[in-house]
Amino acid sequence: MSYSPPPPAPQPAAPIDPARLARNWRAVTVELDAPTATRTERLLRRIGLPSHVTRLMAATPALRRSWYVSIAVMLLIGLGPLDTADPRASAFLMLLLTPLVPVVGVGLAYGSPSDPTYEVHLATPMSGLRLVLIRALAVMAVATPVIMFVTLLSRVMRPWAAAWFLPAIAVSAVSLALMTFTSPRRATGSVAIAWIAINLIARWATDDVLAAFVPVAQGIAAAVALIAAVVIAARRSTFDRLALS
Amino acid sequence: MTAAHVATYQLQHSYGDRTVLGGVDLLAQGGLVALLGANGAGKTTLLRCLATVLTPSAGSITIDGLSPAHESEQIEIRRRLGYLPQSCGFSPRARTFDAVDHVAVLKGHRDDRTRRHLVYDALTKVGLDDRANEPTGNLSAGMNQRLGLAQAIIGEPTLLLLDEPAAGLDPDERQRMRRVLSERRHAATTIVSTHLTDEAADADVIWVLHNSRIVFADSPNRLADLAAGRTWIQSEPPPIDVRASWTLADGTHRCLGVPPPGAALTPPRLEDGYLLLTDSANV
Repeated sequence: MSYSPPPPAPQPAAPIDPARLARNWRAVTVELDAPTATRTERLLRRIGLPSHVTRLMAATPALRRSWYVSIAVMLLIGLGPLDTADPRASAFLMLLLTPLVPVVGVGLAYGSPSDPTYEVHLATPMSGLRLVLIRALAVMAVATPVIMFVTLLSRVMRPWAAAWFLPAIAVSAVSLALMTFTSPRRATGSVAIAWIAINLIARWATDDVLAAFVPVAQGIAAAVALIAAVVIAARRSTFDRLALS
Repeated sequence: MTAAHVATYQLQHSYGDRTVLGGVDLLAQGGLVALLGANGAGKTTLLRCLATVLTPSAGSITIDGLSPAHESEQIEIRRRLGYLPQSCGFSPRARTFDAVDHVAVLKGHRDDRTRRHLVYDALTKVGLDDRANEPTGNLSAGMNQRLGLAQAIIGEPTLLLLDEPAAGLDPDERQRMRRVLSERRHAATTIVSTHLTDEAADADVIWVLHNSRIVFADSPNRLADLAAGRTWIQSEPPPIDVRASWTLADGTHRCLGVPPPGAALTPPRLEDGYLLLTDSANV
């Protein structure tokens, strides 16, 4: 019979702190159970946006609808028939509608009818203007490459590929400025109608179908955008209160 | 943080020609306050003013000495605030966790890990932690209300404003809601609007909003006491000049008003006090 050493004497058990154990277990389960980010959010994070910003964008279904609408509208316009014999006339429809894409997107993504948690948002410390600007930029960030792609794709449209940009900024800024006086949908609708009217009047008055996009008009658009920005800044507190319906 | 101190002075609000709040003076710190009033009495307007989302036509509000009329103070108030509006909804495709996480971001919690824990804490308190991954469209109406409550309580606010949180809920869901609110009784000033007297019975203080003014601000017992000696039961149908009467299961009639001599008086209930109070306020 060989000798085997006696088993080591059992160590006294370390005292267990049930509260600490519960806390640790809770920390583990929270990390394991927390849902993964959605596809949209993961994509936005890959671009480099911080997670709290991507959460603001991805948690707004109306914003996603705006993205889809803007892409669909642009593809529809871009794929429509173009008259190569009269390229300016062909460009008119495109340039008339493209500045409206971002503004309609913003109108759809903000305010009580489209955002079921609108009133909850208002009661948080997040500035309403900051929130609406994040959403406006999100719509612009998606709409701009799509518009550029569609315009650069067409030989007829290529000379005016960037002509829509300043008017789009002006139209969006005026729309945001009007939102400080009336409901988002009314502001968006009024600006859209005004923009179409301006184009038709400019076309009729100058006999140039693209009168609203010539260099002088671009300068006016920049000035209008600047004035609108001043109005938005001066009346920013209205974004922190319930919008008129 | 201690429960928020809430005060209003001559608070007024009108929608066009219609005056909804006609000079409301209030004071509260800590505990559960039930804001009781008929449908359309102005409860939502008052809560919206206190939640700083609606600017009153006149008068002042201070919360912990801060005024929402000043931008920087308004932000500070909102840091201390949890708000469940009456028309609270969620996108049906949004996950339960995301709905609360979104509000956590809006409340200024930027760190992912801290936020995850805050969200799970809030969901656990309202009993929805096991539904974190489900779309809100799968939740019942009661669960949706609890989800709204989770959004309101995230970050341990010291002022909780809940607009009819138990409307349309079954008894089980009401009991859950009541438990969550009672747990926060000492940590926050909780103001809950309701048009049902039985929901107000658990409150420390009841504010009765009637005819655009606060006509009562005291304990539930004191409200019930207003009907002491003025509720009775009789077997004969009551005369038409009683304030209210209804037939009980045993065929007798419970009456409210000025009792006839020798009437069999019965202990008053909260509803009796409320009805008599609003009746006298109408005179």
